[in-house]
Amino acid sequence: MTTTNQELPIILPKESGLAIINSKAPFGSSHGKDALDVALIFGSFEQKVSLFFQGDGVYQLITNQNGSLVSIKDYLKTFSAFEFYDIEDIYICRQSLVNRQLDEVFHIDGVQVVTPIEFVTAINLHQHVLRF
Amino acid sequence: MKTLAVVITTPPYSPLTTTAISYIEAALIADINVIGVFFYQDGAMHANKNISIASDEYQAIAQWQRLQQQYALPLHICITAAEKRGINCDSIDNEQVNNAFTVSGLGELVELTTKASRLVQF
Repeated sequence: MTTTNQELPIILPKESGLAIINSKAPFGSSHGKDALDVALIFGSFEQKVSLFFQGDGVYQLITNQNGSLVSIKDYLKTFSAFEFYDIEDIYICRQSLVNRQLDEVFHIDGVQVVTPIEFVTAINLHQHVLRF
Repeated sequence: MKTLAVVITTPPYSPLTTTAISYIEAALIADINVIGVFFYQDGAMHANKNISIASDEYQAIAQWQRLQQQYALPLHICITAAEKRGINCDSIDNEQVNNAFTVSGLGELVELTTKASRLVQF
């Protein structure tokens, strides 16, 4: 006797943690810094937090930026501390990079370049989402 | 039991405020446990005691006060976001902070998020 696939229960992975979507360029507003503050506080409370960069948010990961040229505290430097806060899941939307003709060269390691579908799928694994 | 936390990141003059207030009250009426509202970024401006809205416009601040009183709904503002926007939270009597609001920090957002089964941002 065989069982059919239809009878097997579909087991979805349990949603957990917080996804922070970054959609703004780094120095034109304070959204990036405000999102970073949230990410670090979740990290320091040992809560799972993942970062997603999409739209103009991808500029936050592009290398060779210098906020001090426009007299803005360069919060992007703090991105290198993510590993100390156990923030390991960092996703960037490839399509957003392509649209802006940006190379996949980032100022931190461990960034996962993913397709829009993979991006959405990864967000869906989280229980909560905040967007900045 | 379903638990809801709400994050407000938009200023009181944003049209989203009316949506947020209606949403929260609908949830409360539906017996959903709204464990708190956290005001971050421009959202912190909701707690400014000196806000004055023209009498023929939606009285957002009065609505927050009503929700807080009627449902004992906790309204937390991020102290860093508030002080950056000219709302002095240091003085003992918090004379610039509307007393419907509680001065909190981002740690409160962590607390609300971990307790809530759903988090909604306006």
